[in-house]
Amino acid sequence: MRSRSNYPIQVIAAGFLVLAFLSLSLFWARWVCKSILANNMPMDYRTVDITPSGLVPGDFESDPNMLRRSGAHAHIIHPEAPQSLGFMDYVIGSSPAGRHSDVYLLKYDNEAWHWIYFDRSTGLIACRYEIKERMPDTTITRKMVQIYVGPEGISETPDEDTGRFTSPIVDVSDIDRGQLTLYDKKLRQFFAVKFRKEVELIKGPQLPEDDPRRPVDIGLLSKNPSVLDLYWMPLEIKISENNQDRALYRSRGTHIPIREGNSNYRPDRYTLVLDESGQIDLLDRETLEFAGPAGRLPAPETFFPTDKRITPGDLLAYRVLSIALKEDHKYRGLIAATVSREGTALALAVFNERGACFESKDTRAKNSRGSRNVPSSSAVFFGTPWSPVITIGKFLLENIHPPILSLASYFTAGSIEAASGHRAMFLLPNSFIAMKGRDARVNIAARFLFALLLISPSIVLAILLAMRVSKDAAVVGLPQKTRRFWKLGTLAFGPAGYITYKLTRPKITLVTCANCGKPRRPDMDKCHRCGSKWDVPELIPPAWRVLNGAE
Amino acid sequence: MNDNVIKVENLVKYFDGRCVLDGINLTVPRGCIYGLLGRNGAGKTTIIRILLGTEPTTRGDTFLLGTESTNLAPKDRGRIGCVAEGHNLIQNYKVERLIKLCKDLSLQWNHESFDHLIETFRLPMDRRVKNLSMGMRAQLNLALAMAIDPELLILDDPTLGLDTVARRQFLELAIEVIQKQDRTILFCSHILSDVERIADRIGILAAGKLVVDCPLEQLKERVKKLRIIFGESPPENLYLTEIVNQQIHGREMTVTVANWNRQKQAILETFKPSSCTEIPMSLEDIFIECTRPGTEPVQVA
Amino acid sequence: MLTLIRREIRDHIVYFIAAVVFSAILIAFLTAAMYNLDWVGSVVFEALSVPILIILVLGFSAMGVTQMYLDRNRRISAFLSALPVTRSRILTARIIAGLLAILIVLVPLTITAIVMGRLTGPPIPISSGHIADILTTVFLMTFACYCLGLLTGWTANKIAPTFGALGLNLVLVSLVFVKGFGPNIKFLLVLVIVACLIRTWHKFMSTSL
Repeated sequence: MRSRSNYPIQVIAAGFLVLAFLSLSLFWARWVCKSILANNMPMDYRTVDITPSGLVPGDFESDPNMLRRSGAHAHIIHPEAPQSLGFMDYVIGSSPAGRHSDVYLLKYDNEAWHWIYFDRSTGLIACRYEIKERMPDTTITRKMVQIYVGPEGISETPDEDTGRFTSPIVDVSDIDRGQLTLYDKKLRQFFAVKFRKEVELIKGPQLPEDDPRRPVDIGLLSKNPSVLDLYWMPLEIKISENNQDRALYRSRGTHIPIREGNSNYRPDRYTLVLDESGQIDLLDRETLEFAGPAGRLPAPETFFPTDKRITPGDLLAYRVLSIALKEDHKYRGLIAATVSREGTALALAVFNERGACFESKDTRAKNSRGSRNVPSSSAVFFGTPWSPVITIGKFLLENIHPPILSLASYFTAGSIEAASGHRAMFLLPNSFIAMKGRDARVNIAARFLFALLLISPSIVLAILLAMRVSKDAAVVGLPQKTRRFWKLGTLAFGPAGYITYKLTRPKITLVTCANCGKPRRPDMDKCHRCGSKWDVPELIPPAWRVLNGAE
Repeated sequence: MNDNVIKVENLVKYFDGRCVLDGINLTVPRGCIYGLLGRNGAGKTTIIRILLGTEPTTRGDTFLLGTESTNLAPKDRGRIGCVAEGHNLIQNYKVERLIKLCKDLSLQWNHESFDHLIETFRLPMDRRVKNLSMGMRAQLNLALAMAIDPELLILDDPTLGLDTVARRQFLELAIEVIQKQDRTILFCSHILSDVERIADRIGILAAGKLVVDCPLEQLKERVKKLRIIFGESPPENLYLTEIVNQQIHGREMTVTVANWNRQKQAILETFKPSSCTEIPMSLEDIFIECTRPGTEPVQVA
Repeated sequence: MLTLIRREIRDHIVYFIAAVVFSAILIAFLTAAMYNLDWVGSVVFEALSVPILIILVLGFSAMGVTQMYLDRNRRISAFLSALPVTRSRILTARIIAGLLAILIVLVPLTITAIVMGRLTGPPIPISSGHIADILTTVFLMTFACYCLGLLTGWTANKIAPTFGALGLNLVLVSLVFVKGFGPNIKFLLVLVIVACLIRTWHKFMSTSL
């Protein structure tokens, strides 16, 4: 029953449980604060419009009957939507065509399954689809085709000769029209699979070793579409009917696509490719070669601004739409919207066909005097009713978190992917200290000192708790080494360390030492304070003994 | 093989800051029937619980059958029969189920002996333990303890709740066990006549200490109660050490002395008492004398 | 050991019966959902999946609490300790009985899900990985809540195990909403289980019976 030998194991086990439950409870408390702040964000904090877009020919825009100019509109739907949590992310991401799914198409049509998916065991793209063929007698015959596509060819059964894809990135936007474009990260090559009467595999050139491009997305570039809405507003011109003088409206410069899966979409020559650096390039659909820059992901202005170029991993959400006009299907440019890591800032940018930025805007709010524009990422914390209180609440909750983890959040600020940051329990990538960690404006020392200031309540609390623990550990008679361990542990883990100490503290009722008068442990031979031997003055046994050894 | 079946070394036990046992040293050799006595709250049950490993010590070590109590292996536990104070049985089990459980878990089981006991005690098989009387529970507990043919039998107030006939039956059972070679019994009871009948070694707990630990016969020889009549008033100080108890009524002094020997006899004779007669004491009398509150508080040199 | 496991099962037979019944209900729902996705499917998967998970985990947590609380208050282990049985065996048998109860619910459900998936789904490996993820997470979550029940149940107090276990379990179940069903949550749950078992072990082995 004496378990001194496994005391460290006890402490680690109790410590982990305390840390897990405390972190989870604090997570939900912070989530409530963030949700309230997000809910209170007025629309102008989360909406950006760029009008005119600059992508429609000038003669369209200058039509005398013009009612509304063309433009791009973006707004944040809800940054703390349940979709940002792991449960929904897993469910949505794992469904066919989801972000984590290897299934690009799955449907049940005409009593048969149709599918396109990546089979990791064979490294091939498996396809099953229906071909309709018009016969000479005008009847239509339907035939189910099942094929396996590899980088070296196509076969009707899994075949090693067709090669092996390793980690393909796939553009699913044209599947309904029988084309699949994909990029394999290991092979560093683009491929196109065309599903017509015959299946055709087109291979693009392999990217050179020194090519810095690392594609991460192709086609309809979007991340967390439930957080961000982006759409194109076509130009509207007033016309009148001949026999009735009633004004009607006609849209011109209709965007394709307006929404993913729009059946009116007719593909242009190019598709978009997003690089891990945030650069967007055009890819020629026919030659599968890069055709020039298309733009880049705009950087939203965060609470502590950063000069660093924004990457897809730094963003909670992005959406990019290429614009082609109905009149000629010629590529005109693209509109790109991004939401910052914390979900409190939105940036919208318009790039022309050469990839030059036409215009870029952030979400901003007017301050109380109505004069100066403040970034929404700052206004959300202090600019709406009750937001200062909630912000202070969020700040205090972050300061109950273990200081060592807060510091770790500072150092790992930029390396955690933005969406998974909303699900982080132990590290806090969206905390004030992490935001400061990403602040590239000031030097390292100043940044670190400011960060320490942000967690100063946490440090003060940890010091106070460490002092209490140290004092109690001395009273309880723990050895010097153990006391030092507890002091450091409580300094590092704050309330979690203190609670762990309380749970694992030796449960011994102390007894007053007859020699020094201080509390001492009865399970020790000598008083751990004065070193005197054991004495029990309250028990008065008789002076005599009748003792004998065994017979 | 270690000849001490039970060994207690410097046992200290505190309950919430209150000392119950203050440095107990005790050995029970193989084949010994050890009667552990003490007043209520002296710590007898505590020692037994510590020996069985159900209570942790504050300080000190205890050993059963050569193994530390906290590390008793199943095969060692299988050699120990125990009747705990209060007859700790699983209350909501039926008797039959409880017996089956014990049978399945035990390493050995004497069916003949057990069935005989159950028949003798006339225990109802289909009744729940909580619906048995106190006496029946005691009998069941006893039967379960005896059925495994234990090498060591620990009995903590086993006759609590038994009627006279059942008590006598139990004693006979205990004697039966004693007669088997190398069987050891540790026996706590408040019915000292029973203890006196079967025990061959006695231990008495008082104020957290084991004040008596010797063979029964030796105890009776070493603790003497004397009625001394003096010619005049008794002397203030008899200059005798280890006085257990002393009472003065006029010229008469009744004194109980521990470790009576010739030296003390000689010292007494120097006071030239008119008469000095020994009052014979039973174990119960000795126990009362030894545990009477207010026994001489002189510090041992 | 078998005797001890049998004893645990018999003493807590209510939970085993409830596990069988619950398993049957879930299989019936799952079968109906697979064949009639329109309305039953949406009811089961959207409305009932969360309450089902909560009932499952709280039920097994209650089992853990009951096992330890009844032992402590009826002094069952004190009685068993007098027999040739060690405390570690008593606790191991208890945990095995709890695991068996959990498996009674989850194994038939897993088999049904796999069979239904093969019968009604497309013949491609789309969902086997997800089914494995979800069922593994459910198993680990249920076992973790059971272990929490064991940890909080070893007390003479009535309030602590009831509300303490309830509160901790609700916090733990919310981990599924935070982390989903990926490898992260499995790793965390394994650590929680190990930590709970270590604490329970220590408590059970070191307190007086």
